[in-house]
Amino acid sequence: MAKYVRAIIVTGLTVLWLAPVYLLVVNAIGPPNALSLSHLWIPPSSFHLFSNLSSAWHTSGFGAPNVVNTLVYSLLAPAIAVLFAALAGFAIVVLRVRFAAGWFVLIFGATIFPLQILAVPLFLGYGRTHLYDTRLGMMAIYVAVAVPFAMFVMRNFFGVIARAVYEAAVLDGASVPRIFFRIYVPMSWSALVAVFVLQFTFVWNDLFLGLSLSTATGAQGVTPALFGLTSSYGGASYPVVLAAALGVTLPTVLVFLFAQRFFAVALALGD
Amino acid sequence: MDSVLLMPAATLVVVLLYAPFVYTCFLSLFEYHGVGAMKFTGLGQYAAFFTSTSFSSIVENTLLWVVGTLILPVGLGLLAAVLTFGMWGSRFVRLVLLVPYGMSGVAIGVLWGFILEPGGALNQALHFFHLPGGATSFLEYAPLSTVLMIMAATWQGLGVNMLLFAVGLQSIPAEPLEAAKVDGAEGFTLFRLVTWPLLRPITVIVVGLAIVNGLKTFDIVWTLTQGGPGLASATLAVSMYQTTFLAQEYGQGAAIAVLLTVLASAAALIYLRRQIAPPKGA
Repeated sequence: MAKYVRAIIVTGLTVLWLAPVYLLVVNAIGPPNALSLSHLWIPPSSFHLFSNLSSAWHTSGFGAPNVVNTLVYSLLAPAIAVLFAALAGFAIVVLRVRFAAGWFVLIFGATIFPLQILAVPLFLGYGRTHLYDTRLGMMAIYVAVAVPFAMFVMRNFFGVIARAVYEAAVLDGASVPRIFFRIYVPMSWSALVAVFVLQFTFVWNDLFLGLSLSTATGAQGVTPALFGLTSSYGGASYPVVLAAALGVTLPTVLVFLFAQRFFAVALALGD
Repeated sequence: MDSVLLMPAATLVVVLLYAPFVYTCFLSLFEYHGVGAMKFTGLGQYAAFFTSTSFSSIVENTLLWVVGTLILPVGLGLLAAVLTFGMWGSRFVRLVLLVPYGMSGVAIGVLWGFILEPGGALNQALHFFHLPGGATSFLEYAPLSTVLMIMAATWQGLGVNMLLFAVGLQSIPAEPLEAAKVDGAEGFTLFRLVTWPLLRPITVIVVGLAIVNGLKTFDIVWTLTQGGPGLASATLAVSMYQTTFLAQEYGQGAAIAVLLTVLASAAALIYLRRQIAPPKGA
């Protein structure tokens, strides 16, 4: 009896979770005219995904520049953040710098800030320093936002590597940069990748900072640009917007699913 | 000398996170519209927000998001983790449930807008089965709109909570479970008396994260209703954005941001207390 209840609930959840994905795919490949929208659940008889994508692509404020922006932010910012965070975590837990606990609290404490508390000063400050709507400005804030949690994970990871490893390296006369890059970094690939993947999805999917600090025809990435596309519904039809949503969101879904294993590592270390 | 290694991280965090935080707190004491002089109003900006006509609905919506996020993505996530544990085909089911978590809030909003719009997929499905609601404009009524947006957020977030609980279930040692089974416990009793207490460490983290994320809800609401109609479906984060960037009330936007930060940090303490505790092996 309990077995059947379980099978029914699990099947029900699975169907409920697949239905929106089905709707997304079926309607993103459907013809872009309004007439066919009366049968949203029925698969289309013709394939229009690429023409829908190209319609979206040719809407102003959504296209190649936004994709390039997103690629730059989501690949570079997490990489820089992971490096800075790893250096900080290394200094705190391996080198045991003076006031290590204080440094830790300072950097990790910043994880509690919601993005909303940063927005107004950044908007005003970026305006005055000509960083508003620039790639440099966006990169800087994405790195800064990623650093605290990344430092936390790296510090936990370095913390469980045996102290003897460090002591032996020092006895052998290895320099600090050498110990970091030749011993600790190679031993920590799984944690470094885990943090990178988490921050990659965060930056790729970010809406709030993109909307607050950049414009669609300037430094904005694809996610806020996709939002811009929805507010011009008059022009862009649902199949076009859905095709764009599918294209924009597929990379993070794939990366996330492939990196589940690494994700679990980050979670275990965050614990 | 080794503290040089801390400088890139510490500098960025201080300049781009702490300084804006301090400045927002400062700005929340002034009336400021982006141009012209700043006028000191003490706690006036907070008072203006508390007495604004939309204040009660913003608080209600935000509370609904927090409670809804605790019940649905967290509760169902736990259920899914327990039910699929050791089940045939659990890998496939978990993959399906996890897919939406990789999607952006904007993509979720676009897709669910398509489902919930007048004449959208849900209307058509209800109409097809001759159920009530075939012609309802779901997103125009509060608090129905918020409840439905919580459903969308559940579709997005359930998977990750399930994953966290699944990790927790795997780490439970076999002995107490075996012992309880020998003593005759099974099914829900076994779960309630043995599994649930042993899941406590992971539950604290999942619940803490859910409250914080519920409080900070922005992307899905902004994409689906932009807080409307009027401010009927706005949350704290949504009204902060509107007040700041659309109404250009920088001081009041800052005050809302400060309130949000106070609430979010209080909730974060639930799980941070556990996380900060002794560094393992260091």
